[in-house]
Amino acid sequence: MEIRRIGVLGAGTMGHGIAQVCAQSGYQVNLQDIKDEFVEAGISKIQKFLDGSVERKRMTQDEADLTSSRIKGTTDLREAAKDVDLVIEAIVEDINIKKDVFKELDQICPEDAIFASNTSAQSITEMAMVTKHPDRFIGMHWFNPPQLMRGIEVIVTDKTSQETLDTMVNLCKKLGKEPGICKDSPGFIVNRLLQIWYNESLNMFDEGVADPQDIDTALKVAYNFRMGPFELRDLVGLDVALVVSETHYRELMREQFKPPRCLVMKVKAGDLGRKTGRGFYEYESKT
Amino acid sequence: MRIRTIIIIGETEFKTKLQELFSKAGFKVIMSDLNQDYDKQASEADLVLETVSEDIVLKEEVFKRCDAKCPEQAILATTTAKPWVTQIAEVTRRPEKVVGLNFTKNPFDEKYLVQIIRGLQTSDDTIQVSKELLEQVGVTAVKIGETPGYILDRVIASVVNEAALMYTTKLATVEDIDKMMKICTNWPMGPFEFADTIGVDKVVEILESLSQQLGPRYLPCFLLRKMVNAGWLGKKTKRGFYIYS
Ligand SMILES: NC(=O)c1ccc[n+]([C@@H]2O[C@H](COP(=O)([O-])OP(=O)(O)OC[C@H]3O[C@@H](n4cnc5c(N)ncnc54)[C@H](O)[C@@H]3O)[C@@H](O)[C@H]2O)c1
Repeated sequence: MEIRRIGVLGAGTMGHGIAQVCAQSGYQVNLQDIKDEFVEAGISKIQKFLDGSVERKRMTQDEADLTSSRIKGTTDLREAAKDVDLVIEAIVEDINIKKDVFKELDQICPEDAIFASNTSAQSITEMAMVTKHPDRFIGMHWFNPPQLMRGIEVIVTDKTSQETLDTMVNLCKKLGKEPGICKDSPGFIVNRLLQIWYNESLNMFDEGVADPQDIDTALKVAYNFRMGPFELRDLVGLDVALVVSETHYRELMREQFKPPRCLVMKVKAGDLGRKTGRGFYEYESKT
Repeated sequence: MRIRTIIIIGETEFKTKLQELFSKAGFKVIMSDLNQDYDKQASEADLVLETVSEDIVLKEEVFKRCDAKCPEQAILATTTAKPWVTQIAEVTRRPEKVVGLNFTKNPFDEKYLVQIIRGLQTSDDTIQVSKELLEQVGVTAVKIGETPGYILDRVIASVVNEAALMYTTKLATVEDIDKMMKICTNWPMGPFEFADTIGVDKVVEILESLSQQLGPRYLPCFLLRKMVNAGWLGKKTKRGFYIYS
């Protein structure tokens, strides 16, 4: 089926970027959030990004104007969803709120509209089952920042139809993105494998095999990883890391996903990485 | 202590690469192998660098003979990729001077990383001298303890194992898994490309060894074992997760 108009729900970190990418590729976009100020903040972030692109000659002024003219902000879900071919949900990571929104969408959207969720950790299947058309429900997992990251994980459930999948794969390509297809499962492809990469590195530290710096250096120098696991953990924040780690362990119930002890202890001690000036490494000033 | 003379004892072609590295840095390098009286030659060396094939019996013999003839302060190093340093050290009268120096070639820029492996008996001094030596040679070195696969291949083998499980359970294809790891999180290679580069046999061996030491969570995925049985070991056999022509 052909997509013309897209509703993007949530104008936060991900939502505003997703809306921008869609508009840049020629789609009409309704960008919705719960408060005017959130919608406005999202739209002004888009404007800033577009202005920057024009300045750096990545885009002409006309292209930028055309892009922003395609985005319509609203706080009204009905307004945002009543005439769209696709909804991309990028609201808070709360399964119950997401389910409520999809139930509502079911009443509002055209019969053949596709529903996509950008969730990182909730079950696509669980969300699909609250709608009348789980065959038209799919996961569309973008990476941050959506304007720059080229990959999108397209998540299918047992109910997703081939047509829905084909439509999404085509859409990703039209947006200039690379789709990777994965069945609904905890962490999908990327986050699940990253967990193993992190855990195994942290486990070696716990076992006394090597220090963070030596592990980071080895992986960067020998295998060209851009950053080591410990540096990345510190950058993202160990509290956030622990939550993600616990989610994977709870969902997958296998030992290799168990949060490493050093991570648990650092969080208990309040050493959360760069933001507190100390994590696996020491940092001079808090930023 | 200062290292001036190095004897490299080995059978592998990697030997000449080592010779090049150390000669260029100004060390006197003696090249030897198992067909020569390497122990006699070793009597004037400050460092023995053993790089014979991965056979524990062979390695123990080399260390025993070198230990008998080498100067008292000489360091005996093995390039083994296996966690054998402690065991090898045990056959010498200088276990504190035995160390592992494992060279890994970066598949992209061909530079080396050395993992300095500390056996149970290895002294701080031996580690320090090794570290300084490698600094002089201009290769990056990291200090680690003995563990199957050491740092690098232990991490990679674990990732490969999970990726293989995801593929076997039909969550995603080999191509999509590799592609997503590269473009969504900037990995230099995907897990299956890593497996084919390192060798599926090596991945399985590391996982088996890890599972013996640390528990069943490391047990290799059935697919990996089958690939080893089929001789699909990766680039070296022209077939692994991908086919190479
Ligand atoms: N941040 C990331 O790196 C990232 C990456 C991939 C996926 N995700 C997923 O994307 C989703 C959004 O994450 P984010 O980082 O953009 O969060 P965010 O907090 O920046 O934005 C969420 C926005 O949703 C709005 N919102 C909340 N409830 C709403 C509702 N009922 N209807 C409409 N809007 C509502 C909030 O006001 C907020 O502006 C989450 O599911 C998250 O798991 C995030």
